[in-house]
Amino acid sequence: MISTMSHKKADKITTSVKFVILLIFGVVLMAPFVWMVSVGFDRTANISMPFPPRLIPEELSGFNYGIVFENGRLIQSYINSAIVTITSVAIGVSSSLLAGYAFSKGRFKGKKLLFIVVLCTLMIPMEPRLIPLYKLFNSVDLLNTFWPLILPPLINGMLIFLCKQFFDQLPDSLREAAQIDGAGEFKIFFSVYFPLAGPIAATMVILAFIWSWNDFLWPLVVLNNQDLHTVPLYLASFSLENGTSLGGLTMALATVSVLPIIVVYLFLQRYIIQSIALSGVKGE
Amino acid sequence: MAKNNMEINATLGSVSIKQKKKTSQWTWYIFLIPSFLGIILFMVYPIFESLRLSFYQSNGTIENFIGLDNFKTVLTSGPFWNSVWNTFYIGIFQILITIPLGFIFASLINSTARGQNFFKVIYFLPNVTSIVAAAMIFAFVLHPEMGIVNYALEAIGLPAPKWLADPSTSKWAVILLAVWHWIGFVIIICLANLQAISAEMYEAAKIDGASGLQQWLFITIPNMGGTFAFLLITGWIGALQRFNEVYVLGGPNGSPARSIQTMGAFIYERGFTGFEFGVASAATYIMFMIILVFTFVNLKVSNMKL
Repeated sequence: MISTMSHKKADKITTSVKFVILLIFGVVLMAPFVWMVSVGFDRTANISMPFPPRLIPEELSGFNYGIVFENGRLIQSYINSAIVTITSVAIGVSSSLLAGYAFSKGRFKGKKLLFIVVLCTLMIPMEPRLIPLYKLFNSVDLLNTFWPLILPPLINGMLIFLCKQFFDQLPDSLREAAQIDGAGEFKIFFSVYFPLAGPIAATMVILAFIWSWNDFLWPLVVLNNQDLHTVPLYLASFSLENGTSLGGLTMALATVSVLPIIVVYLFLQRYIIQSIALSGVKGE
Repeated sequence: MAKNNMEINATLGSVSIKQKKKTSQWTWYIFLIPSFLGIILFMVYPIFESLRLSFYQSNGTIENFIGLDNFKTVLTSGPFWNSVWNTFYIGIFQILITIPLGFIFASLINSTARGQNFFKVIYFLPNVTSIVAAAMIFAFVLHPEMGIVNYALEAIGLPAPKWLADPSTSKWAVILLAVWHWIGFVIIICLANLQAISAEMYEAAKIDGASGLQQWLFITIPNMGGTFAFLLITGWIGALQRFNEVYVLGGPNGSPARSIQTMGAFIYERGFTGFEFGVASAATYIMFMIILVFTFVNLKVSNMKL
């Protein structure tokens, strides 16, 4: 009796200890964010970074945010990022839905081989393709446009793979029923399977959105014109120009830049976490 | 006569079914056209073009065939090997720290009833924010004089390094950033797999009198082999391609003193600030080979089936 009591007590203690450890580490992980927001709102941080660091701004003001928005380049980069992200996600997700469906339900020659080709693309990083793609888009005079950012995401092995797996779970009997009614493959896809693909389409959109919004190296290569810069490019050029001076302004800028992703994340976190765990691939 | 008619009808029928099958086969290829157009244009062509370019001296307009000279240039270049060293150094410590730490935190989250979802959300947040913004924030967080990290270190009486201002510690600044950014991913993948381990095993162990720690050591860890292998491989692939954060923190040449220039940054510097496409292509292929060999070795070592 006594031993079970002490056992219970010990259990309670370990649970609390675990909880406290998790909380402390969580605070450590969050600290950069919290500090970023606080410095951004600190009027005096614009002149010199407050030292010692403080969580509550000495002179609370929206001064830094005002400058960030007045400048206009941030808003321009937001618009650019939105155009690129929306179109590239739409194209990438549609082509992956079509291909994923064909690989799941299709019966045709070379299916296995073609699917292996798709899986191989997962192992090909951006770097070896960088210069040829740059030359390719240069030769058709499309550098400094959004096309180089919109077209290559047409192919995304990860999305095709996820999509195939999803359609594999849907029964073939739906197809057979539609076939008896005389529907062709396209009709079957669009009227039978496509309406059922909501969950996987949402997952694909979320993943592609994060990858595209955060993409950096390729946009850096193809967009020299500052007016076309996406959000990460604008951040990087601001950061390289100013280094660690202009602390308050930099932090306000960083806050505004991560805001859309954080808002989307907080609303859809359940699905995002699920789809990342599912796909096991992160994009940077 | 009637019998004959029936036979003819039957053969006619089978012909039309065959024809239908053939046409329906073709429609499947139409489904694949967009993706394979993308694969040919944006994957296959660049890979071969890059190989061709690596044998030429090229600045994008003028091309001269020079055989293996580019490879010689790269392989005898000090900065290249320095960038390889930096890439591996940062990658090794990132992986060595993040996977065990992430696994421990995933286990802790998995075993607490309270606040599981809350911790998942908090811990994963760094991973969805762009690494470019994260690097920008870390330039301040790790600032030798006004950053919060050194403030905390000094407060508890520990030495405060100069981080990104000093070539001997700058790699560790990048490692800290990399751990911070990647750990959420490791935790989420570990959590997903922790929950897939069958409860029966734990119950059997409990009946045998195994403590929580013993269960963790002898059931959980052996069952996570595949997960660790997966994290190791994806971690390496990511680490070998590291570019974004080192570019933001140190520019294309990875200052201070090239101490954080990675292979990706070396290629960018040669290709897009020096316009030496041939040299950059050769470096790219060497990097590509390193990634392939490394992935292959990782697959063998971790015994993972693809």
